[in-house]
Amino acid sequence: MNSRRIAANFNANIRGFYRNKATVFFVVLFPILLMLLFGMIFQDTGENMGPLYIQDMDGGVHSEALINALNSSGVFDVKLVEPGTDADSYITAHHVNTFIVIPEGFSDSVNMRFLNRSLPAANITILYDPGNSAAQQKIGVITQIINGMNMAYSGSQPFVGIDAVPSVSDDYKYIDFFAPGIIAMSVMTSSLFGTVGMNIELRQKGILRKLATTPITRSEWLVSNILYQFIMAMISFTAIILVGVVIFGLKPHLNGYLFLFIILEVFAFSGIGMLITRFVRDADGAQAAANAIMFPMMFLSGTFFPVEMMPDLLQKVARLLPLYYVNEGLRSAMVDMNLNTIIESAVVIGVFGVVVFILGVLLTSWKED
Amino acid sequence: MSESVISVENLVKLYGDLRAVDDISFEVRTGEVFAFLGPNGAGKTTTVEIIETIRNATSGKVLIFGMDVRKNRTEIIKRIGVLPQEFSSFDRLTVEETVRYFAALFESDCDVQHLINLVNLGKHRNQLYTNLSGGLKQRVGIAVALVNDPEIVFLDEPTTGLDPRARHDVWDVINGLKKEGKTVFLTTHYMEEAEVLADTVAIISRGRIISTGSPSELIDKHSTSIHVTIKGGMGISSVAEAMGLQWEAKNGGSVVMEARDNEQILEIMMRLKEKNIGYDSIDIRKANLEEVFLKLTGEGLSGGGGH
Repeated sequence: MNSRRIAANFNANIRGFYRNKATVFFVVLFPILLMLLFGMIFQDTGENMGPLYIQDMDGGVHSEALINALNSSGVFDVKLVEPGTDADSYITAHHVNTFIVIPEGFSDSVNMRFLNRSLPAANITILYDPGNSAAQQKIGVITQIINGMNMAYSGSQPFVGIDAVPSVSDDYKYIDFFAPGIIAMSVMTSSLFGTVGMNIELRQKGILRKLATTPITRSEWLVSNILYQFIMAMISFTAIILVGVVIFGLKPHLNGYLFLFIILEVFAFSGIGMLITRFVRDADGAQAAANAIMFPMMFLSGTFFPVEMMPDLLQKVARLLPLYYVNEGLRSAMVDMNLNTIIESAVVIGVFGVVVFILGVLLTSWKED
Repeated sequence: MSESVISVENLVKLYGDLRAVDDISFEVRTGEVFAFLGPNGAGKTTTVEIIETIRNATSGKVLIFGMDVRKNRTEIIKRIGVLPQEFSSFDRLTVEETVRYFAALFESDCDVQHLINLVNLGKHRNQLYTNLSGGLKQRVGIAVALVNDPEIVFLDEPTTGLDPRARHDVWDVINGLKKEGKTVFLTTHYMEEAEVLADTVAIISRGRIISTGSPSELIDKHSTSIHVTIKGGMGISSVAEAMGLQWEAKNGGSVVMEARDNEQILEIMMRLKEKNIGYDSIDIRKANLEEVFLKLTGEGLSGGGGH
């Protein structure tokens, strides 16, 4: 190991980086764009759920009370639909996902129910789009509000109450959970594509053949490239944290575990990149292979939504993916500091990274046949 | 004769059934320009890369500086400089940065500015590699091959794809290397290049060396005729007819005849005088390497395997 050779190769890489608009985009701007985009999508989701359409065919005192309750919850933009309108065609025409119909005689039924408790409840009808998750959430809230009305009308006190306390300290927002995922994904992308791209380019141009006639050893070259990939990862990381803090009020816990996970991830995905270029010799094929590895990992490893939301089988698949452990580990390090999760994830990704990296070193060579 | 610095014995390289290098032996002497001349696909680059230690031979023995290329890679590469075939470097480094980068890989404290001036790149030192023309890129490659002050410089097809002007610039640089006392190992498929630069030429075809010697030795040994080109008036061809020589009329009223030796040349002149045939010019020329090559291999130089 010769530090002058390592430094020379590292410098050449860094110059190649900042003189290339495409790499600057992927390392700096791409993660920033992702943060901005998803940060805005998930901002203030608890506050307003969008429009709620109500067709009041009753016009009585109780239907008015119900509409008031829905309105004053502040969760919906209540929109009243003329009683004469045809509900189905209105829903189609206005792309409505949740539509409440209060039938004629609703208030009378409620009044009768007051007098005779054995009568059935007065029903309203909710027409909703079963394929729309916002509609499901709206029905959940509507149910809660109607339960509240029922309690008030029947004059009873609740037996079971809820005291919801966040398991993590302070008031975390969605962005705090989302940022570690974006960091893990950006580091994966830059390490994987950085390594694949560099190997392919140097081989295609014959630079590797030239390097083989100089004293730089493969391990010196790898050390300088890992160092370079780590710097790229830290640039993406810094960009993401800055955008998170400045624009979305992110409160990151910066600690040593974070950097540990980033280093292990760089090793793991640089190693995968080396193996890809070892077995897929042409440029297009290698890029396609890198994409084929990256995309499923992005969606299945809990980057954009929690793994627990997926079916059992896919959850099992997720636990086979290296990115899952980076996500788990980074999230623990940045949000709840669960030491068990941190250690478990670090061991899994660490062992994986070392194995892949060593395989990459052993299986690749500059020497021609 | 000086001592040999490269010695190749019975070198064989197989790719499956293909004998890319088929039992080649030769020696290169210190300080000479040695040219491997042959069409594409003849086995030039494979042989050179085995000598440069970046490719393994199937069998045979290769010594550089008396050391086996299989066992002494680390020592050997410090003492040789290589311009690989189709050399390319990092697009986004400048000329000067590129030379410094390779100097650092050799831990060499060479005079980078001197090297850049040596290959006439002074004006371009701060230009990015990607923005250079083909000829300038090749010259960067030659400068890079010299960062460790090598005793032997390997130049694999240094002028392929260059225009005539750029080619002559590269030739000047190679002649400069020779003056500095470096051994130059050149591979080329340009006849003229070998003829102009080389002290020794090895003609290689289909993995075998067909003939070795200085360009003039090769021509003397293998050429059977002397071209006598006479430009002038009527009746010149009758001289050739009378002597039973092969002849051909060329554009512009000249006649080319094939003389066997100096006696026949004299006879041609005598007959011209006797018959009082006038002429504008007479050109007497031995065969060139191209013709020798065609005769030896039955194939053209620039044809063959393609790239």
